[in-house]
Amino acid sequence: MMRHLISGCLLLIWLTAPLPLQAAGLDGRVVEHTYQNGLKLLMVERHTSPTVSAWIRFKVGSVNERSDERGVAHMLEHMLFKGTKTLGTTDYAAEKPLLDKIEATAQLMMAEQAKEKKGDPARIAALQARLAALEKEAERYVVKDEFFDLYSRNGGVGYNAFTAKDGTTYLISLPSNKLELWAAIESDRMRDPVLREFYTERAVVMEERRRSYDAEPSAKLWETFLAASYQAHPYGQPTIGWMSDIQFLSRTKAERFLHRYYAPNNAVIAVVGDINPQQVIRLVGRYFGEIPPGTPVPTVTVQEEPQRGERRVEVRADAEPEVLIGFHKTALGDKDDEVFDVISALLSQGRTSRLYRSLVLKKQLASDVSTFTAPGSLYPSLFVLAASPRAPHTAGEVEQALLDELDRLKKEPVTPWELQKILNQLEFQEIRRMGTNGGLARNLTEYEAVAGSWRYLLTYRAKVARVTPADIQRVARAWFTRSNRTVGILTKTATGGTTP
Amino acid sequence: MRTCFTTLLITLCCLGTAWGADRENPRTMQFPPLHFTIPRAERLLLDNGTPVYLLEDHELPIVTVSALIHTGSVYDPPGKSGLAALTGAQLRGGGTTRLTAAQLDDELEYMASSVESSFGADSGTVTMTTLTRNLPRSLELFGDILHHPRFDEQRFTVARQRALEAIRRQNDDPKELADRELIRAIYRGHPLGVIPTAASITAITRTDLTAFQQRFVRPDNLIITVAGDFNRNAIVDRLNRLIGSWRPATPLALPAVPPVPQTVTPEVLFARKRINQTVIRLGHLGITKDDPDLYAVRLLDFILGGSFTSRLMMEIRTNQGLAYNVDSAFDVGRRFPGTFIAETETKADTTARTISLMTSIIAGIRTAPVSAEELTLAKESIINSFLFAFTTPASIVNQEARLEFYGYPPDYLDRYRQRIAAVTREEVLQAARRHLHPDAFKLVVVGDDRRFDRPLSSFGAVRTLPLP
Repeated sequence: MMRHLISGCLLLIWLTAPLPLQAAGLDGRVVEHTYQNGLKLLMVERHTSPTVSAWIRFKVGSVNERSDERGVAHMLEHMLFKGTKTLGTTDYAAEKPLLDKIEATAQLMMAEQAKEKKGDPARIAALQARLAALEKEAERYVVKDEFFDLYSRNGGVGYNAFTAKDGTTYLISLPSNKLELWAAIESDRMRDPVLREFYTERAVVMEERRRSYDAEPSAKLWETFLAASYQAHPYGQPTIGWMSDIQFLSRTKAERFLHRYYAPNNAVIAVVGDINPQQVIRLVGRYFGEIPPGTPVPTVTVQEEPQRGERRVEVRADAEPEVLIGFHKTALGDKDDEVFDVISALLSQGRTSRLYRSLVLKKQLASDVSTFTAPGSLYPSLFVLAASPRAPHTAGEVEQALLDELDRLKKEPVTPWELQKILNQLEFQEIRRMGTNGGLARNLTEYEAVAGSWRYLLTYRAKVARVTPADIQRVARAWFTRSNRTVGILTKTATGGTTP
Repeated sequence: MRTCFTTLLITLCCLGTAWGADRENPRTMQFPPLHFTIPRAERLLLDNGTPVYLLEDHELPIVTVSALIHTGSVYDPPGKSGLAALTGAQLRGGGTTRLTAAQLDDELEYMASSVESSFGADSGTVTMTTLTRNLPRSLELFGDILHHPRFDEQRFTVARQRALEAIRRQNDDPKELADRELIRAIYRGHPLGVIPTAASITAITRTDLTAFQQRFVRPDNLIITVAGDFNRNAIVDRLNRLIGSWRPATPLALPAVPPVPQTVTPEVLFARKRINQTVIRLGHLGITKDDPDLYAVRLLDFILGGSFTSRLMMEIRTNQGLAYNVDSAFDVGRRFPGTFIAETETKADTTARTISLMTSIIAGIRTAPVSAEELTLAKESIINSFLFAFTTPASIVNQEARLEFYGYPPDYLDRYRQRIAAVTREEVLQAARRHLHPDAFKLVVVGDDRRFDRPLSSFGAVRTLPLP
């Protein structure tokens, strides 16, 4: 909530494209439990320090939004910090009628705003003022940010949440004697959340959008590029929503989404650290066990039509050029998906990677290069190449150099040395991942949710080990085609920039 | 139909009360005691006197070794700002006398070992991470990087070009632009306020890097830390061979760094960007770790702008919805006075309103003692989260090494929580009055002034920053 990762944008690389022949140490250490209401609990016992990390992932994200509720998953992420019927309020019974009045007023206001030019500005202003006054009045019942307050005074750190295309995650680390506090707060939040202070928080989300996209040229390019890459599938829409989407989000819409999906059968919990798993199974059962299940999150059935030609988008901004090239690719778990991961490592992992050696060290066309899979894992995603041209070299030169390296993948088999290096790196990463409670909890919840089981982590490296040089050539030829690509270019305007 | 369905779900959710026989109320919950003792590393001296901190932990087959070096950009010579940063990066990036840069990259990455080096403002680090089975070779390479760097000419050229490109891009993100200009304004007249320029980067030669490395990267000017899955006696032997036998021919002579000028002049700096959200940064010099108010300042910091329930966050974000990000922090200096900086971003037409609000909230904490509730929350949070500084073996050894490096009192960690607990409301008030000076704020604003709610000149004479 403080600093969401939102769609995670450009940072995913090996975070999403993970790791593990035999995932060292992980097998035999994960304790699993599934409750009658469908809630899945994963645990790893580690006694390095008397601390524990607890992550809750809901298998619902912005990909599950309808077109009239874009941004609602992220908005809900904010709203689920506002308390429940017992926390965050001094008297919910007295507060409730006011909350209803606020919502009725907001609905009237939005109905008027939706008329656009035909709307009555005076009426909008009057309703806005009434809404503000009512929210102010309701404040007398609000215990501000009580979840934060409780966690904070008990030594909790890293209390946060993030919304992505495929899921929403709530996380915290606590001294291990305080785990029951987490169970009490989080089960209450799953059972009885109250979306109070909605319209003030909506203004905060608009500021978040301005900060993270509108006023940041490289993020604006990313958002534009993603929207151009998908014409049908909701992976193309921004997780935070377009500004006008946010303007028409209401508590009613948010509650509808909430009650549909934010239920134990759509959740995965990981508790990692100084714990006794059997005790944690009882604790979680006591607090979460009676929460009724909700609607299983349905599969998004719309599919992106095969792309029939190169798409190019440009964003003009007061910033130096950037280049993005994206190719439609597989979803996680599909045949050949790990071949893309191998290609990504070949191209951009480390100083020995092909793009770094070619574009940064040898030709010196770019100051930075990266490749990654985005924006999600559950549905067919994009294989993205990103580079920052080094002046006086142009975006066009860099684009050509990136494409040349992809052609090389099609023509020449990669060397056994390169493949073994990648496997060695994977082995290291899968061990290192075991070194922090939070990192482990992240991986367990993520892969349980997007791969169907955390056990994906156990077999991943063996799958990668089976990738041959011929597989890489085959996949490169099939997918890295002109028709299948979208190119995004950030072009510099005069200093000072153009007004959006 | 949809409404009925929703109502039904809401009704179902309302069944049962939150707290009952087997579910405790978080407001009154009691907890079992926690058993925590501050973990300790072993400290020893190599044959040549270099201090080493060791902490064995065999959970995972990984070892981390670091060198903490007394160096930094405060030692950049006039006209060559950026030298420390380039030297730091090229220490690892430029190969060793035995291996070319490409050979070093190949060997490390094939083993999945990493060595990374970087020099900051008043310290530098070189950190090696390796699988246990590759420890002997990785450690040799780590030693060579420290003692026998090559500073390959071609890699240096690339690094310098990339530094120039970074300068070209330094105003692309308006937040980065504002952050940098505030630091420049706060430390004006001191090396900490000097920002590399295209001219200063271009003036740096490979010979400068070599000289800088030889001057600072030496065994009598660094501390080594080792954490993870190693055998204590074996690694001490290896470290003695690699580093303990290294005896510099000349005595250590660190250049003097001038004191930071204590200015109290307010300033209003503005950079024009046609964006829909204004970046606001304000602040002034702060304290050093040796300030007697250190513990009161930690609490003040938490209450004013350091937590999600801080005064700034509560009013500007939670109550008024003016910003997504708002906070303030004393960055406590170790060798030099640190900073106090408050930051936020708000839409263009609430710019002046937000600046005024921010300033008045900061000024407000100087007028009356904080409430007992605020102080209790701050103390409990800091004291109860203290153990998170010790969650990995590497963080424990690095913590201890840094305390020695910067000359903290030996009982600093042991007494930290006790000292926090002892601070009174009056002491927080006195600390606020001594260390917060709203009349001396340097204010930096980046945005579209045509859309501001009030002209920036209402905060003082505006100096517009030239953007290239």
